[in-house]
Amino acid sequence: MIELRNITKTYNKDGGAEVKVLQGINLAIGQGEFVSIMAPSGMGKSTMMNIIGCLDQPTGGEYFLDGIEVAGMNDDDLSRIRNKKIGFVFQSFNLLPRTTALENVELPLIYSPDDLDIKAKAKSALEAVGLGDRVGHQPSELSGGQQQRVAIARALVNDPALILADEPTGNLDSASSNEVMAIFKKLHQDGRTVILVTHEPEVAAQADRIIRMKDGQVVSDERRAN
Amino acid sequence: MKTGRIIGLAFSGLAKQKMRTFLMMLGIVIGVATLTVIISLTKGAQHKVMKGIKNFGTNAVMASAGGGRMFGPPDGSTTTLTMADAEAIKASIKGIKHIAPFTMHVAQTVVAGSKNTEAAVFGVTPEFADAWQWYAEKGDFISAEDVSGLSKNCVLGQTVVRELFGDQDPIGETVRLNNTSFTVVGVLTKRGASPHGMDMDNRVVVPLSTAMRRLFNTTAIGMIRLYVDDPDRLDEVTTSVSAILRERHHITPPQEDDFRVTNSMAMAGTIKGVSKTLTTFLLLLASISLVVGGLVIANIMLISVNERKKEIGIRRAFGAKARDIRQQFLGEALIVTLCGGIGGTILGIAISLAIAGIKKMPAVLSWEPFVLAIVFSAAVGIVAGLQPARKAAGLDPVAAIKG
Repeated sequence: MIELRNITKTYNKDGGAEVKVLQGINLAIGQGEFVSIMAPSGMGKSTMMNIIGCLDQPTGGEYFLDGIEVAGMNDDDLSRIRNKKIGFVFQSFNLLPRTTALENVELPLIYSPDDLDIKAKAKSALEAVGLGDRVGHQPSELSGGQQQRVAIARALVNDPALILADEPTGNLDSASSNEVMAIFKKLHQDGRTVILVTHEPEVAAQADRIIRMKDGQVVSDERRAN
Repeated sequence: MKTGRIIGLAFSGLAKQKMRTFLMMLGIVIGVATLTVIISLTKGAQHKVMKGIKNFGTNAVMASAGGGRMFGPPDGSTTTLTMADAEAIKASIKGIKHIAPFTMHVAQTVVAGSKNTEAAVFGVTPEFADAWQWYAEKGDFISAEDVSGLSKNCVLGQTVVRELFGDQDPIGETVRLNNTSFTVVGVLTKRGASPHGMDMDNRVVVPLSTAMRRLFNTTAIGMIRLYVDDPDRLDEVTTSVSAILRERHHITPPQEDDFRVTNSMAMAGTIKGVSKTLTTFLLLLASISLVVGGLVIANIMLISVNERKKEIGIRRAFGAKARDIRQQFLGEALIVTLCGGIGGTILGIAISLAIAGIKKMPAVLSWEPFVLAIVFSAAVGIVAGLQPARKAAGLDPVAAIKG
């Protein structure tokens, strides 16, 4: 599913100094795996997530997603891959304000090249996360847990192979966290690949595999039998 | 299909910022409304002028006594044109179908019984009717016998009839001019306004001889009206008349003419020239307001792109291409200007009709302002929206999503 070969990422700071955020990452994640990537803040976690999610391009190395070489693709091709294959879930939900739950979930479908029944698909995605009765609510009218479930519905609606979640429970209380984690487990059981980026050990522990990063490198890769 | 969905996004984006959308639209609405009003009223004014020229007569050449650049009819004191001049013109110029020398005295008091009114008094020969293509609707026009016998018969214009007799039949009644009694023998057909805006129906027509000898004691005539058989020869005849009169009046350049010769085409040209200059100036002003409106839109759109960085980042994360973002923002600008254009046209039409109603000015509604508004608005929308849309599309998704 995902194969990273010697991926590096270097930023040029304003003063001209180079910062090596990723220093040769080698990683393979198979179809249907449930993986946590753990790293302290500022240790390349977000960069890693952006590169896996095709939002950002690595400075060096090779990245195969579903057997396709992604590194070096142009912006349009990357957009198409994000649309079809990847569903993002963010820590701060990133829902559009003053926009109903249904319209938020419709967002990826709008950019799909296919002719779709957008309303029906978005509605059934909301029903799948247990929010079928909240379609007309705006984010400001929903609790944090509900907002994150809307965000998960949005990530799911285009039926992507990969769900990529960045600290999805970081802004939630424990009850909501449990609800959200239960949904991720369910997605995994349905055969989707789920990658969770987090710094919370309890959250990471719910995955089948925990990859730890430090200083831009993978320091441990641990498979667990749940 | 996808483009349709993105246009839908542009609409809902605007709907979420109603006040801002309204303010963006306002400049375009005002600009286009101004444009529409100017075009409608200018066309109305032109229409009125053309109608006046039609009333003057499209085949007509007219020589008036008195020189200079004076606009409008001469008064009775100018004595430079004589019957002999008219005879000479008639004898030497070909292509003249009718020639009618006449006198005109404006603002004369006309009395009938206990009522009185002010009207222009015309002294005419029977040829006047043919030269003006203007005949009696009821009764008779001035006849050759009336002229040779210095009769005290008169023909009234319809405004005079209405003022003095109301609905009553004036034929056979008596009106007094300058303490002389005249018998009404006919009523002219309704003619309307002259190119100078004068009411042509406010007149009393008497025999030329009677006017010259009994009423105004003069040997001069005021004007000579020519009816040319071929409208293409208007300018030629006009030039010939000037030449003859100059010769007869012993005028050599640089001496100024003591008469003026004009025709319907020349009148139309002068009036059109004046109104064209004014219209160009006004249209320029309206265009400036459209440009300012466009600048306002570009400005607000740029602010909007800055405020909506996060939205742009989210859209990009879920698969929006740079082009999709560009279309969305360009779409917003275009919707604003096109709606503003349509709204402005409707407002402009309403204002034109209101001005036409209050000021009694004619307004001519036509398709031109509408097409112009759409074309202008679309152009302003594209120009104003392009830079903000490009900026939005060019944002780095990773940076944008952080807001």
